[in-house]
Amino acid sequence: MSEEIISFLKSKFADSIIEVTLEDRETSLTVKKEKFCEILSTLKYIGFNHLSDVTCVDYIKEQEIEVVYHLWSHTKKLRGNIKVRISRESPSIKSVVDLWIGAQIHERENHEMFGITFLGNPNLSPLFLEEWEEIPPFRKDFNAREFVRREYYEKE
Amino acid sequence: MEELRPKGIIKSVEEARAWSLWVINYFTACGFLELLPWVGSGYDMERFGIKAVGSPRHADVLIIAGYVTKKALKRIKRIYEQMPSPKYVMVLGSCPMTGGMYWDSYATIKHIDKYIPVDVWVIGCPPRPENIGHAIVMAMKAIKSGFKGH
Repeated sequence: MSEEIISFLKSKFADSIIEVTLEDRETSLTVKKEKFCEILSTLKYIGFNHLSDVTCVDYIKEQEIEVVYHLWSHTKKLRGNIKVRISRESPSIKSVVDLWIGAQIHERENHEMFGITFLGNPNLSPLFLEEWEEIPPFRKDFNAREFVRREYYEKE
Repeated sequence: MEELRPKGIIKSVEEARAWSLWVINYFTACGFLELLPWVGSGYDMERFGIKAVGSPRHADVLIIAGYVTKKALKRIKRIYEQMPSPKYVMVLGSCPMTGGMYWDSYATIKHIDKYIPVDVWVIGCPPRPENIGHAIVMAMKAIKSGFKGH
């Protein structure tokens, strides 16, 4: 994202953009949860029309989960990462299926691996894990070694 | 190799069984790439009467190669149960034996023989095609002498 796009976004969503990290061809924007949908749809409208991925980062010390939307612009050849922080206790965020239909499978996977509820996603049923009863496996407080020892090495 | 060629009339059922191993495979990963030379003309498994079939109901041998996840295990069990007896299970690679490089993964099982009976183990990560050929020859010898699977 170039400087002018950022200044354009700042003029529109001044109080919603918390942090901007400018790198060579990759820009990260940390935005507030209330306005992230509007920012994403604005970015889609000005050319960032490819959603590469939706990922999550678990910040256990701050008790927050960061949802990252990786955008790519085919015309500008620029990458933009939109980061949204949500609470770790009851993580839920609005789905972006209305903007990009391809976000459905990413959100379904993040729901399974991080336990985030994407409001508005039509199908959040388990994708890889069957009969999973533990906490979601990509959470930082999930003890994989302990689980493997108990579930496989002691049972088998 | 000379002794494996059929000489004259096939004398027994065991002989016929050893020379017509039909294979259903369950491959999840790299093990299949090392078995592929046997499918093609390089090693040519059809000279031993081995053929890949589409249905487990026609198969004598189940080949499992690569890591087995918890989700895949259910399907493997179902394939195994559909196969007619006598049936044999051949396992390729270290992942289904010990977990391999996924020894601390939450998603893969560590010892396949705790879930279904296994007759032939081929070690390697992944095993070489020569090792697989050796295992096939040894299995055929065992079947000729009346081995009916575990």
